[in-house]
Amino acid sequence: MENSLAMTALIFLGAAIIMVPLVRKLGLSSVIGFILGGIIIGPFVLKLTGSGSEDIMNTTEFGVIMLLFLIGLEVEPKKFWGIRKKIFGMGLSQMLFTVTILFLIFYIAKWRPDQALVAALCFALSSTAIVLQTLKEKNIFRTEAGESSFSILLFQDISVIPILALLPVLASRPKDKEQMILLQYLPDWLQPFSIILGVLLLIFLGRYIFVPFLRYVSRSGMNELLTASSLFLVIGVSELMNAAGLSPALGAFIAGVMLATSEFRHELESQIEPFKGLLLAVFFVSVGATINFFVILEDPMFIFTTTIVVLVVKFGVLFGVGKFFKLKTDQNFMVAFALSQIGEFAFVLINYSTNLYLLDPKLNAQLLAITAITMCITPILLLINDKLIEPRWPKTHHQNNEITEPIKQQKIIIVGFGHFGSTVGRLLRVNGVKATVLDNDPERVNILRSNGFKVYFGDASKPGILRSAGAETADLLILCLDSPEKNKFILEYAREKFPQLQFFVRSKNRLDAYDFINNGVDNIYRETLGTAVNMAVDILKATGMRAYAARRLGQRFMLIDKAVTRKLAKEEKSDKVTFTMKAYLEREAELLAQDSHSFDESQWSENEEF
Amino acid sequence: MELVKIYEGVENLVFKDLYEEYPDFHIQSFKERKRIRDYERLIFHFPLIWFSIPPLLKLWIDEVFDMTWTTEKNHPLQNKDAIIIVTVGGKAEHYTPQGMYETTIGELLRSLTLSLKVNQIEVKELIAVHNSDDLTKEELTQISEKIKRTLNIS
Repeated sequence: MENSLAMTALIFLGAAIIMVPLVRKLGLSSVIGFILGGIIIGPFVLKLTGSGSEDIMNTTEFGVIMLLFLIGLEVEPKKFWGIRKKIFGMGLSQMLFTVTILFLIFYIAKWRPDQALVAALCFALSSTAIVLQTLKEKNIFRTEAGESSFSILLFQDISVIPILALLPVLASRPKDKEQMILLQYLPDWLQPFSIILGVLLLIFLGRYIFVPFLRYVSRSGMNELLTASSLFLVIGVSELMNAAGLSPALGAFIAGVMLATSEFRHELESQIEPFKGLLLAVFFVSVGATINFFVILEDPMFIFTTTIVVLVVKFGVLFGVGKFFKLKTDQNFMVAFALSQIGEFAFVLINYSTNLYLLDPKLNAQLLAITAITMCITPILLLINDKLIEPRWPKTHHQNNEITEPIKQQKIIIVGFGHFGSTVGRLLRVNGVKATVLDNDPERVNILRSNGFKVYFGDASKPGILRSAGAETADLLILCLDSPEKNKFILEYAREKFPQLQFFVRSKNRLDAYDFINNGVDNIYRETLGTAVNMAVDILKATGMRAYAARRLGQRFMLIDKAVTRKLAKEEKSDKVTFTMKAYLEREAELLAQDSHSFDESQWSENEEF
Repeated sequence: MELVKIYEGVENLVFKDLYEEYPDFHIQSFKERKRIRDYERLIFHFPLIWFSIPPLLKLWIDEVFDMTWTTEKNHPLQNKDAIIIVTVGGKAEHYTPQGMYETTIGELLRSLTLSLKVNQIEVKELIAVHNSDDLTKEELTQISEKIKRTLNIS
């Protein structure tokens, strides 16, 4: 069947839309949904896809490049340093042992050595997408298992880059001349250093070109331009690396790392994220569509024995590594089960090596099928872990968690870092309390950054930004924007999406405060209250009142005013009256009247609250 | 801080940490006067600071107690008694007429006990915990037990 591109895209997206919710209902990762969807529309069930699926797969491989860019953005040098032992210890040993054992098994099974090595390399990787999704769904990022899994995955993601560089060497075939134009211009003696040269070039670009470029664009204040330039950046980098004869994934990763410390980190993340999601989704569907079931039927024994061998080896190695690094048994089981599948990078690597003629089409199909099968098995394995194995360690699990886990610092996000927010942030900072700060004024962000403040550029009223700033795991959200409408918008949005957050909100005046109170916020800071009261206290002093008496009156006034505001907010809600100027003045008069009778010190009544 | 845990989750007892409640030293006196009626016994638990009660406790008494109550009949402090628990950094032997400070803890807390007495609050017991900065775990548990027995809670 010949389809137009739009038609093919429609079918792919349709399959994803129908399958993913179904699979999610069953409690499985969305990746499985995509692959199943692909299988269903593929040539073996509905025959909806034409020859286009391979092309689509090639195009959407770009999603993987974006994934690497995003991973690069996550790898802040400091964070990296903090878990370096886990990353290199667990990651490296996992890779080394798995590759060695698998290679030996394949070699003994009389595979061609180079093919055996390629397969072993591909199979050693685990699926970042599936595991991170699972960790997120189970909400165990902060546990030992979560951190170990993340470390191992990170190391695997990084090791994809040298593997991609290694494959052409293994292939030992003349490389494709057309792609290497740029490289050819270099003098012969420089060619071997092309990787180092490319990396240096990227570091230079990241340092001196990307950030000023983004600053320039963001100053225009147009959202679409930022999206465009984010895409431009990622595609540009990968094309550049392509032209230099290097892996585009490596380029994207380094570009990501270079930008990880810049103020645009969260903005870029939220811009690229949807594209990555979409492309990866289509990529997974196309993977499903290209699984060749005839190959499986031809030699089912081969496929299934290999699958089981791979799973057992990966599980064993992970378990051993976990033991060596002294993980608790239940956590260890969790890690070993979670990471035992083959990852999505295997698809890329396998197809890449087929293009290099390292693998023949039949083996390619078989390997792809094995990868997909292990992915589909993961959720089942995790279910087994949950139901059968974990309950056997219930006590140690809870007790140890309570004692050994260090008390993590509360995560704070400050939105808006103008005169108001920066005062809040400075007081936090001098007390060593760290916060993630978002502001959408590029000039200000630039100035603050040059003064050593860790501020990110981004408009928090856009959905993705808060999420990439870590709102999902944060504890406190501090809203200090100038515009009450924006504060309110973010508040409502964030409360729905991130219910665990506690809010601290800046409000302009009493009327804003009513809104926030009726929205269920407890921590409201009226900028017109404190300063005005301080001023009044000083005026009382100037008129001859004793300073201490004036201050006491001021504090009492503040307490009463806050309580009255709370009371009036409720009335206002029931009345649903919009405030006219006249009504406002009437309320003001009411308040003043209340003040006069509750301030007589000698005449305290039993009903008085303050 | 360890000793304060005695009061966690005890029935018929409400624990108020004045320094947490009034960090800006602005005591809501009317609110305090109102709520104080609900209780039969006041437990004052504080460290001795420069041979006196903590300033916020002093301020609390200044703001909440009213001079007119000493002569009145139906005032908020009626029908109550009190227990005082004071933690002292110095050694017990220093707080004797012959010791380094030439006075006793009871004498030093006179302003508090007198203020209670004129309002018809009887001080049932005064427990002084000496050497309170370097107590061992066992000593702490012993003292906790003693306080619990006095307060009739366990």
